[in-house]
Amino acid sequence: MNKSLAKIIDFCRRNLAWVLLVIICIVFSFTNPNFLTVKNLLNILNQNSYVIICAYGIALIMMSGGLDMSVGYQMSICGVVCAMMITSGVPVIAAVIVTILLSIAFSMLATLLEQVLKLPRIFCTIGLSTVYQGLAYVITGSKTISGLPAAFKVIGQGTIFHPSLTYATVFMVIAGLIMSFLMNRTYFGRYVFALGGNEAASRLAGINVKRMKYLVGGVAGLFCGIGAIVLCSRVGAAAAGTAAGTEITVLTGVLVGGVSVRGGDGKIANCVAGVLIMGLLANGMQLAGLNTYYQFVVKGAIMLGVMWFDAFQMGRRAIAANKRKEEAIAA
Amino acid sequence: MAKILEVKNVTKIYPGVVALDDVSFDVEAGEVLALIGENGAGKSTVIKTISGAIQAESGSIVIEGKEYTKLTPAIAKEAGIGVVYQEFNLVPSLSIAENIFLGDKVGKTRGCPDFKEMKRRSQDIMEELGVKIDVNTQVQMLSTAQMQIVEIAKAMIKNCKVLIMDEPSASIPMAEVQNMFRIIRKLKARGVSVIYISHRLEELFEICDRVTIFRDGKYVTTQNVADITKKDLIRYMIGRELTEKFPSRNAQIGEPVLEVQDLSGNGDFHINMALHKGEILGLAGLVGAGRTELAKMLCGDVKPDSGKILVRGKQMTAHSAADGVDLGIGLVPEDRKQEGAFLEYSIEWNIAIMALRQNSKWSFMDFKKIDELVETYNETLDIKTPTVKQLVRNLSGGNQQKVVVAKVLAAQNDILIFDEPTRGIDVGAKQEIYKLMNSLVEDGKSILMISSEMEELLGMSDRIIVLHEGTVGGEVSKNNFCQEKILELASGIVEE
Repeated sequence: MNKSLAKIIDFCRRNLAWVLLVIICIVFSFTNPNFLTVKNLLNILNQNSYVIICAYGIALIMMSGGLDMSVGYQMSICGVVCAMMITSGVPVIAAVIVTILLSIAFSMLATLLEQVLKLPRIFCTIGLSTVYQGLAYVITGSKTISGLPAAFKVIGQGTIFHPSLTYATVFMVIAGLIMSFLMNRTYFGRYVFALGGNEAASRLAGINVKRMKYLVGGVAGLFCGIGAIVLCSRVGAAAAGTAAGTEITVLTGVLVGGVSVRGGDGKIANCVAGVLIMGLLANGMQLAGLNTYYQFVVKGAIMLGVMWFDAFQMGRRAIAANKRKEEAIAA
Repeated sequence: MAKILEVKNVTKIYPGVVALDDVSFDVEAGEVLALIGENGAGKSTVIKTISGAIQAESGSIVIEGKEYTKLTPAIAKEAGIGVVYQEFNLVPSLSIAENIFLGDKVGKTRGCPDFKEMKRRSQDIMEELGVKIDVNTQVQMLSTAQMQIVEIAKAMIKNCKVLIMDEPSASIPMAEVQNMFRIIRKLKARGVSVIYISHRLEELFEICDRVTIFRDGKYVTTQNVADITKKDLIRYMIGRELTEKFPSRNAQIGEPVLEVQDLSGNGDFHINMALHKGEILGLAGLVGAGRTELAKMLCGDVKPDSGKILVRGKQMTAHSAADGVDLGIGLVPEDRKQEGAFLEYSIEWNIAIMALRQNSKWSFMDFKKIDELVETYNETLDIKTPTVKQLVRNLSGGNQQKVVVAKVLAAQNDILIFDEPTRGIDVGAKQEIYKLMNSLVEDGKSILMISSEMEELLGMSDRIIVLHEGTVGGEVSKNNFCQEKILELASGIVEE
């Protein structure tokens, strides 16, 4: 009995984000009878799909010990470039591929700066983010680019099997499975955690740290580019400010999903739950009549709360380790 | 001469180790007293006790006739104890004068220093030390030797009567050492006593009046420098027979597997050496002689400037440690926690990490093979844990070290570089590491062992190469093993 209880507690702790998500869903289903319908749930997935796709990349970066703050405007500029290419006559497929490549290049640029300046990624990406913001406004002239063809809109709006199940959602699920698989089954995944756990030891253990960092950056760029395309095609338009602030949503979601700010910990599946929690809360607040600005306050507070929780756990672990050490010495 | 400082029956116990065992000695006014001993002899513990950084279990410190049983850094400073550590405590962006008076009240009000007064007094003290330099200069513009002088001035301004200098010649260029001696002589003339700690024995004969020798936390003797020879000093420092704690082995020494030809870079110059199959080659030298730096080049982590490394006869062109591992060169780093282990991950995770690529197909890990590997090495190294899922952080130092070794072995490396393999682990675990090293070379692997422990070097090595300031000081073969000889080579004493 006691053992099974401990097992349940352990399960809850390891999958805290999913447990929280279920609790939030139960609460919402009481306040809103239409909440627990297939249509609504699929809609929620669809709305959050681009954030979750991005979160895969950001989670990877954080697990390897970095932090990326440029996602928001990187998505904006990618979306804008993609939309401008399409409206100026470039075939949709080509535009999509070029956009994704551009995004990969942007993320690798951040890695390059990180290596050259020998600075934490967070500083490089804050700088880059500001550059992307400016560029996005410059090339669009602050105008929204609309009138995108149906062939493009189908990516984010087209459905399959069920009228609310979009291609984007399906892609998100498949990509999530692939990422989970990559992290758990290939040595690439372990190397990512190795980097996040101890970079110097990784280097001496024969891991090509530089190459890994470019690889991680590249994967993050890939997902960021896809996220940008999904977002623009769902909205049917692109503007310089379209995805602004996504970096905070992604970051908070990934943190709620249990990835440590210090790197070296976390699971892809839990990040999905983390982002969904953020999406649901935003949705709930919207319904309760709280506007975007209130949502920023809540989002920020949640982020700080999660980081506090993380630090608290770290502290507890350190204290426990110290205690064990003292006992070992005394014995 | 009057005694200015007396250390009386001081005992300091750290968990599991008696760092100082009923130690007594004294310092006379205006003398330079050398404090020497091997690593771990208790020199730094005694300095920390005198400066109040740590408190002894028993015994007392007498400064100018006043007895203190509980010294704190503040009281010690007030009583006239000054310390110049190997690493300087200076604020680079502040001026010399500001650094000298850092944390002190100058003028009438705290928080509003009287800069004129500060400059005037700094100028005075610098002149007194015979140094002509503008006290408005920022400390970051100074050479290390000048920074050291600022540290001395900082101690002098507090009316210091006993100045403790910890390895003062280690942190400055050789050419500046004479100038530092000149300053020490000036201090002496002022009646200041100096406790001079150094590994470089030849310096003692130049600047010190008496020498106090420590060994294994115990006081050995104090001698007049004029009445003692280097050989005597070394004998006092070691003063014990080699105990039979090193298991014997039966390894076949074969062809060279790792050859180093005229290698320079990373602080080492023109290194020539060879490691043979089935051999344990000891690498001796003082701290800072360039041993770890050499290891980092040999495993591919740092690129040498010039020279060649031949691995099994083929030239190595490594761009990173990853290439070294591909050639079968594995490093067990000196700093276990920072560079060796992944503390936050499990034992199995750690053991597997280096071997993952070899045990993967199309990037997919072969868990069956990896689990077998983990089990094999967990058993071979006899890591004491109920489960391999245990986090490495929770293991004792000795077991953490075993995990790091297991990690390197699991990747099937056969040229192994052990950098201080038994640092900070208990005697029992040391024995097990020694046994393991023996069985490794019996299996035809080769080991380069860097160590600062003389016994370990003599007990384990087939040959010993001694580094001195980045160059090979000499080589000693097994039938000529002699601690004195190695210490002489390591200190750069050239005879014959």
